[in-house]
Amino acid sequence: MVLQGLITGIIIGGILSLPVMGVALIYGVTGILNYAIATIGTFGAFTTWLLLPYGLLPAILAGLLTSFVIGFGIQQFLLNPLIKKKGNDLTLFFIITFGIATIVAGLTKNFFPRPTISIELPKLGTLFIADVAVDINKVIAIAIAFSILLVMRFLEKTTKTGKSWIATSQNLKMAKLVGINVEFVYSLVSGIGCILGFIGAFFWGVLYNLTVNTGWDLCFLGYIIAIVGGIGNVWGGMISALIMGVVISFAGYWLGGMWQSVALYVILFAILIVAPKGILGSERSV
Amino acid sequence: MPPLLMEAENLTVTYGSYAALKKVNFSVFEGEIVAIVGPNGAGKTTFLETVAGLLKPKEGSLKFRDRNITKLEPFQRRKMGLMLIPQEGNLFPSMPVKENLQLGAFFENKRSTEEILNRVYRIFPKLQDRTRQLAGTLSGGEQRMLAIGMGIAANVKALMIDELSLGLAPKVVGNLLSILRDLRDETGITLILSEQSIKALDVADRVYGLEAGEIRFTEDAQQLDRDLIKSLYLGA
Amino acid sequence: MTIRHNLPRLLLPFVLALPALFVFVGGYTQWVIGYLYLFIIQGYVAWLLFYKTGQSFYGYSATMALGAYTCVVLQRLTNVSPALQILLGALISALLAMLFFLSTSRAKGFYAGMASFLLAILIPKLIEALYPITGGRSGVQITGLDLLLGSDNYFLLVIFFTVVIVAFIAWLINTRVGKIFTLIAENEDLAQATGINSFKYKLLAYTVAGLLSGLGGALYVNYTGSISSVDINVFTSVSIFFIPLLGSKRSLYGPLVGSMFLVLIPELFSSIERYLDILYGLSYILVMIFLPDGIIIGVGRLLARLFSKIVPPKTLGNSS
Ligand SMILES: Nc1ncnc2c1ncn2[C@@H]1O[C@H](COP(=O)(O)OP(=O)(O)O)[C@@H](O)[C@H]1O
Ligand SMILES: [Mg+2]
Repeated sequence: MVLQGLITGIIIGGILSLPVMGVALIYGVTGILNYAIATIGTFGAFTTWLLLPYGLLPAILAGLLTSFVIGFGIQQFLLNPLIKKKGNDLTLFFIITFGIATIVAGLTKNFFPRPTISIELPKLGTLFIADVAVDINKVIAIAIAFSILLVMRFLEKTTKTGKSWIATSQNLKMAKLVGINVEFVYSLVSGIGCILGFIGAFFWGVLYNLTVNTGWDLCFLGYIIAIVGGIGNVWGGMISALIMGVVISFAGYWLGGMWQSVALYVILFAILIVAPKGILGSERSV
Repeated sequence: MPPLLMEAENLTVTYGSYAALKKVNFSVFEGEIVAIVGPNGAGKTTFLETVAGLLKPKEGSLKFRDRNITKLEPFQRRKMGLMLIPQEGNLFPSMPVKENLQLGAFFENKRSTEEILNRVYRIFPKLQDRTRQLAGTLSGGEQRMLAIGMGIAANVKALMIDELSLGLAPKVVGNLLSILRDLRDETGITLILSEQSIKALDVADRVYGLEAGEIRFTEDAQQLDRDLIKSLYLGA
Repeated sequence: MTIRHNLPRLLLPFVLALPALFVFVGGYTQWVIGYLYLFIIQGYVAWLLFYKTGQSFYGYSATMALGAYTCVVLQRLTNVSPALQILLGALISALLAMLFFLSTSRAKGFYAGMASFLLAILIPKLIEALYPITGGRSGVQITGLDLLLGSDNYFLLVIFFTVVIVAFIAWLINTRVGKIFTLIAENEDLAQATGINSFKYKLLAYTVAGLLSGLGGALYVNYTGSISSVDINVFTSVSIFFIPLLGSKRSLYGPLVGSMFLVLIPELFSSIERYLDILYGLSYILVMIFLPDGIIIGVGRLLARLFSKIVPPKTLGNSS
C-alpha cells in the first residue's frame, strides 16, 4: 500500500510539475507571475479533446499550438507593452494575469460543448512495479514530464534561443545590450510556459476528469508549489511538486478526499512560513 | 576628415522631472577615440545608456550611420554596430567566461565566433585559462577584462565603455587603454569612453567635458588646456 | 479652510446613510442595496490594510468567511444569541488576522501576500472538510437576524453598521495612528528610523482589518440566511482586493464607488450571466490599463479636460 501511494504520488507530482515549471520558467525570465498558464493550458486540452475525432496526433498538436499562440500573443501584445510602460509592478500583473485567467476560463466554459471531459488514449496495457499495477499511459505521462525538464536544460545549453532566455533571466540590461530581443524572448518563453500548462492539463484529462475548474486548481496548486520550491527555480519546483504529489496521495489514503487538500494547503502554508524563499531558494529576488 | 558616424542633437533625458541631460549635442567620427569626462553625477552614464537605447530621450534625436535610431530598441542598435559596456552589472554572473564571450558575439555565426574568441584570448590570455570559470567568481580586474572582451567579441563599429577605470589600479587601467588604442589602430573601431578620472585623455583623440547634464567644452585631446578640466571638476 | 478640507470626510457617513431610503422601495432592489453594503465594508477594510497601510494581504475572503461561519457553527451547536454570534465572529476573525500576521511577519511582503492568498484558498477547503457542521459545498441555512428582526429592520441595521465602520476607518486614517499606517506604507524603514515600532502598528492594522472584515462576514450570513463554501472563496478575495483599485485607491470614496460598480453592474447584466466572468476578467484588465488611478480620478480628469475646453484653462486656474 505504501508503494501504491508512492507511485500515485509520483504520478500526481509529475503532472503537477508541468504547470509548476511553466510558472517557474516564465517568472525566471520575465519576472512576472503569470496566473493564466494553467487556464490557458486547460483551454488547449479542451481543444485537443474537441479535435480527437480527427486523430490523436493532430488533436494534440492543435492543443499545443493553441496554448502556445495564446501565451505568446498575450505576452507580446498585452504584457510587454505594459512592462515597458509601467515596469514590473507586482499588483498590476497580479490583477492583469488573473483577469486573463478569468477570461480564458470563461471562454472554456462557453466555447466547448461539455463542462467536464476526459481524454481517452488507446490502452497500452499495464506495467507491474513489484505487485502494483500501473497503467502504461501513466508511465508515459511521467516520462514526458521528466524528460521535458531535460529537454529544456538541453535547449538552454545548446541553442542560441535557449541561451538568450538564460541570459535574459540573469542580467536583463546586459541581455539587451548584447543584442537579444528580450521582448521576443519574453513572448517565446510565455508560449512555452503555456505549452507546459497544456501538457499538464492534457495528462490530467487522461488520468482524471478535466473540468472548466481544473485550470484554476492547477493554477493555484502549481503556482503555490512553485513558490514553495523557490519561485523561478525550475529544479526546486520539480522537487516540491513531487513532494506535494506524495502528500496528496497519502493524505487521500489516510484522511480521505475532503481532508486531502486541507492537509496539502496546511503543509504549504507551514513551509511558506518556515522557509519563505522556498526549499531551494529563489533565482530572483522579489 | 573621416565621415560622421554618430550624432546626437539636442538630447534631453529626464528621470521624472529631473533633467539629467539638457540639450546635449555630440558627434563622433569614424575611427575616433572620444573621451567623455566629467565629475560624478555629470550625466555620462545617462548619455551612454540613451545612445545604447536603454533610456528614451524626452527630446532630441540620435543618428548612427546616417540613420535615425532614436526610436530603435537596444538590440536593433547593437545589430547596426553600436554597443555599450555599462559601468556595472556588465556580465552574466552565473555563466562561464566562454558563454559570456559567446553572448558578446551574439550576431556572429558559429565559425566566426570561434575566431573572434581566439582574438579576445590573444588580447587577454588570462581569460583563456578560465574559460569554464563562472564570470561572477572572477576578480574585479578580470571581470572588467571579460566585459571589455565581450565588447571586442561583439565586433562592432562603435564601442562605448562606461567608466573603464572604476575600481582598477592605475597600472591596469593604463594597460587596458593601450590595448584599446592598439585595437583601434588595427581594426578602425570607434571608441567612446566615459571617465571620471582623466586617465583616458592619454589615448583619446577628442574630449567632451560634461557637467550637470550639459556639454561644457569639446577639445582636441592633445591641445587640451588643463585649466579647462580643473574648472569642470571644481566649478567655474 | 479646515471645514472645506474635511468636508468630503464629514459628508461620507451621510452619503452612505442616504440609501436607507430604499427601505421604501423594498423588494429585490432593496435586497441588492443591502448586499452592496456588505461589500462596501470589505472594500474599506481592504483599502485600510492593503492600500493605506501597504500590507500585501489577499485573504479578505478568509476573514470574511470566518466571521460568517462562526455564526453558522455557533447557531448549530449552541444557543447563544445572534448578537453574541456576530460579536464572536468578528473576534475570531480578528484573532485569525493577528495570528496570520504574527506567523508571517518575518517574511517579506511578497511571501506574506502569497501566504494570505493560500489562506483564501485553504478556508473553503476546510469548510468543505468540516461539512457535517458547516454544510460544506452544498451549503447551510441559518435563522438569521433578517428573520428575527424583519428584513427591513435588518437592512437598516446593515446600513447602520456600514456607516459606523466606514466612519471609524475614515476617522482612524486621520489620527496619529492612521498617519503612521500611511508612513509605514510609503517607507517602513523611515518609520522605523524615526523610532516608530512598525511591528506594533502593523499588528494593530491586521487586527482591526480582521475584526471589521469578520464583522462584515457575520452580517453577511445573517443577511443571506444561507451560505456555502463557494460563496466566499478566493475569487471573492480578488474582487474585494480590486474594489479600492476600481474606485480609486487614493480617494476616501474609492471603495464606495468600486463596490457599486462591482456589485451593481453585474446586476444589469444578469441576463447574460454565462459571460459574466469574461466581463469580470475584461474589466480587471481594462481598468488597470486605462484607469490606473480608478474611476473617480479617471472620470475627474475627463471632466476637467472637457471643462477646460469650454472654459479656457487660464480662468480655471484663477478661480481656484
Ligand atoms: N535612475 C535614476 N533615477 C533618478 N535619477 C538618476 C537616476 N540615474 C541617475 N540619476 C541622476 O542623474 C544624474 C546623472 O547621473 P549619471 O548619468 O549616472 O552620472 P555619471 O555617470 O556622470 O556619474 C545624477 O544627478 C544622478 O543622481
Ligand atoms: Mg556613471
